[in-house]
Order: sequence, then C-alpha cells, then structure tokens
Amino acid sequence: MTQTRVITVTSGKGGVGKTTTTANLGVALGKLGYRVVVIDTDIGLRNLDVLLGLQNRIIYDVVDLVEGRCRLQQALIRDRQIEELYLLPAAQSRDKSAISPTDMVRICDQLEGDCDFVLIDSPAGIELGFRNAIAAAQEFILVATPDPASVQDVDRVLGILESQGRTQYSLIINRVRPDLVRRKLMASPAQMLETLAIPLLGIVPEAEDVIISNGKGLPVAHDAQSLIGQAFSNTAKRLLGENVPYIPLLEGRRSLWTRLDPRRFFRS
Amino acid sequence: MDSAISIKGTREGLTITLGGGDTQKLYEDLSRHLKLQGAFFRGGVVALDVGKRTLDSERLCSFRDLLAQHTMTLRTVVTADPTTQSVADELGLRTIGSETPDEPEPQAQPEPQPQLERQPRPLAPQRPRASAPAPLASNPVLPRAEPIGQDDLRGLIVKRRIRAGQTVRHSGNIVVIGDVNVGAEIIAGGDVIVWGRLRGTVHAGYPEDASAMVCALDLAPLQLRLGTLIGRPEEAAGERGAIYPEVGRVRDGAIVVERWSGIHWGN
Repeated sequence: MTQTRVITVTSGKGGVGKTTTTANLGVALGKLGYRVVVIDTDIGLRNLDVLLGLQNRIIYDVVDLVEGRCRLQQALIRDRQIEELYLLPAAQSRDKSAISPTDMVRICDQLEGDCDFVLIDSPAGIELGFRNAIAAAQEFILVATPDPASVQDVDRVLGILESQGRTQYSLIINRVRPDLVRRKLMASPAQMLETLAIPLLGIVPEAEDVIISNGKGLPVAHDAQSLIGQAFSNTAKRLLGENVPYIPLLEGRRSLWTRLDPRRFFRS
Repeated sequence: MDSAISIKGTREGLTITLGGGDTQKLYEDLSRHLKLQGAFFRGGVVALDVGKRTLDSERLCSFRDLLAQHTMTLRTVVTADPTTQSVADELGLRTIGSETPDEPEPQAQPEPQPQLERQPRPLAPQRPRASAPAPLASNPVLPRAEPIGQDDLRGLIVKRRIRAGQTVRHSGNIVVIGDVNVGAEIIAGGDVIVWGRLRGTVHAGYPEDASAMVCALDLAPLQLRLGTLIGRPEEAAGERGAIYPEVGRVRDGAIVVERWSGIHWGN
C-alpha cells in the first residue's frame, strides 16, 4: 500500500489556470513514475478531459459513479501517453449539486493506497462545487495570477481553508510576465507572497505554448525542453519535497530575482 | 432562572452553557438573568458553551455584546458545530470543540450549580493550555485591581492575519497583531490599532463616534471610516515612499492622517 496524497487545486477566481495546472502537474508527476489520478469536479463545465485529449474516451463520469451506474475502475480513463495517469471526468450535464462532499470523501477513500497522488481540479467559486473539491483533500495548491483580483480571491479561499483548520497549502503563481514585472506594471511574486503569506510551490511564466498545447489536448509538461514544461516539472519535484531552484526568468537582472528567492518564504 | 442556561465558575473564569431550546429565547433569558445578577459576574472572562447549535456572526456578536454590557468579556466559544467555530474564529474568539476532554462536559453535570459557585473568581493569570488550539493567543492577564472604568474592559486582540472576506467586529476597541489584507473588514465601536499593514476596510467609532482613531504600522486601507465619515486615502500612483506608522483621526469634521511621531494626546 502506498501513501496517497490527496491534493486539491483551487483559486477562487476563474480563468487563472487551475485546470491547466492540474493537467500539467498530473503529467509531470506521471512522467516521474508516480501513479496519479486527476479528478474533475467542475460538473456541468468539464474541461480537464479536453486538456488531456481524452474527451472521446469518456463512458462513465463521476456522477455515474456516485449514483451507482458504474464502478470506480470503469470510470477511470487511462491517459494516452502516460502509463500511470488516470482521469475521473466530471459530468457534462447536471450541476454541482449532483455530488456532495461526502461522495468525494468516499471516492478518495477508495483510491487510498492505490495511487500516489489524487489531484482534484476545483471549479471556480467558493460554493458547493468548491466544497465538494476540498472535502477529501489534506493538501491544497492555490493558483494565482499576478492580477490583484486573483490574489484577493486566493486570500479569501485561504481564509476559508484556515477557518476549517486546513493549513497544508502552497502557491503556484501562474502567467507571470517577467517584462511587465520588471517595468513594475505587474505585481512581482515577492509582492504576492507578502500579501498571501504562504509557501511558494512554483512560478509559471505566461507563454503561447500553453495555449497551443491546450488546443491540441497534449499538456505542455510533456515537452520537458520548453520553459513552461520545465516550470511544471520543477513544481512537481518541489511537491515531492525536492529543493529545486527557480528558473531565472530575467536574464541579467539578478537583483530582482534575488529578492524573489523562494527559500525566504518557506517556513522551516 | 430558566434551567436551560447554566452559569458556573471554573478556574478559567465563567462558563455559560446554553442548553436546549430556541436561541432567541435563551438570549432573552440570559439577558434577564444578567440584569438581576450581573453584578456577581463583573469583570469576568466567559466561555460560552453553545453545544451543537449553529450561530451566525450576528447572533454570536449579540451574546458577546450582551456580556460586554455587563462588563464581562467573551473569550472562548465551546462548540461542536464547525460553522459556529469558524464564525467564532473570524471574530477572534478562542474556540474549543465540545468534545475536548479537558473541558467539563456540560451534559455531565445537569444539576443546577449552588449559588456560591457563581461567585466570580479573582482573575488568575491565564496559562496557555497545551491541549487547546489557541488562534487567539492568551493574553497574559496581570493580577488586576479594581477596574478603572467599563471602557477599559472593552477590547479585542486578534493575533493573526485577517484575510479577504473576513470581518472582525467588536463593540469596543480592536487590536490586530498581524496584517489586514485587502478585502478584509474591521469594525469597532472604539479605536482600531493594527500592528502590521492595514490594507482592508476599517471602521472605527462605529456607528457614529467621531472621537475614535485608527493607527497602523503601515496605514494604507482601501477605505478609512471614522464615526460617520468615510475617507479614501490618496491613490498614490506607482511605488509608495517610505513607510512609517500613521494615525487617522477626525479633526474639524474631516479625517486627517498623520505620521506617528510627537503626537500629543491631550485634547
């Protein structure tokens, strides 16, 4: 029996890259040889299958599972390329009320011991869909872009998690534009961490690669040579407890990135 | 008094247990009871055991304010309900789950407490208890002489970061040790002191006390409200300059924010 880590990827705000992050972390961990199940809890607006290019293989979904029309093994879809990556898709019809937080706990209990990671992709918002997504997790990855609205929404989500005593969380800063940060037209990771005061897990720059790969249904993390693929693979390694240095995104501008040295932000 | 409420003295202070029944009725019963016997409990620190019921922020505040009217301080909420617990957390109160073993189980002692038990205890120094999570660190309470005045008892210390969407309300003064993030809200009947960055919305002297003030190590709230006045600090373009402690007060009918240095408090 392996120890299964159940991690929810959430953000409050929509469109910041939760699903992209979930898909790419799943791929990156899978490539490192871990057994990973990704679960889409955005019932009614499922997307994770599209990003993984698995939409044409869906037979059963999470609602079928909860309502007893299939077994867990039947609902899990194996990735096209990565041997040990599985998707539990959301339903396209229905809405968030089709499942409950208890259902999520039951599903994750069944997965316990059978895989190394369960990554739960949360819908935007803090309503029922969010409550479903966080119910079974012990750890949380918050995704924020440098947009102040996104930072504020992550702050709100952190407040909710803290009030429930769920304090195993870390931050991925997504869609950073180093040129704008340098010109002080975008919040720097350091400024975001000052507000949010949580450990940093990864910094992912904005890049066309992501748009292209999302269109192809082949997560960018497959391409370990690309900057973004590297950023996701580094993030996955940090999740495993490795101390991976951050990619210098600003050539010859060491002063700024010295200030961003994440080691300052890790507690203990 | 109605048997649904029990009040008893413990080493920590007073424990008020709300038994079964309608919460509004219990509130009224407690109010009546405190009017009759409130003098017994003057200056007491109170743990309110609400059992399994769910209390929203407004309701919990009503109990806290009721106790404050009788110069008692609500410090701890004993609850089995997670919603109530998070509400209490947000109000900066200490929370203890009902099932905590070292907390006397209220149902275990149903017999009414003898009158003597209700005597207020001298306030012993509060010791942090290893078993109880303390979101609000215990304030060391010095052996206290006679209270100087009622206002001195009305204070709330919140020792954590206040995040977006969280509200801290108190009828007296509020001290926050930590940052107040954008989207957070502090509402105090008296003054507000923030030992940290103040970025959210703050209302001191709520609803209409213009003598209240707000001070912070870094005073940059979205909105600063004092009594009935609303101020919006200048939206400085670009980087802010040097940061130093500041204080906001009402002067000649307008909100004035000044650097904290050489301020004389005489009127």
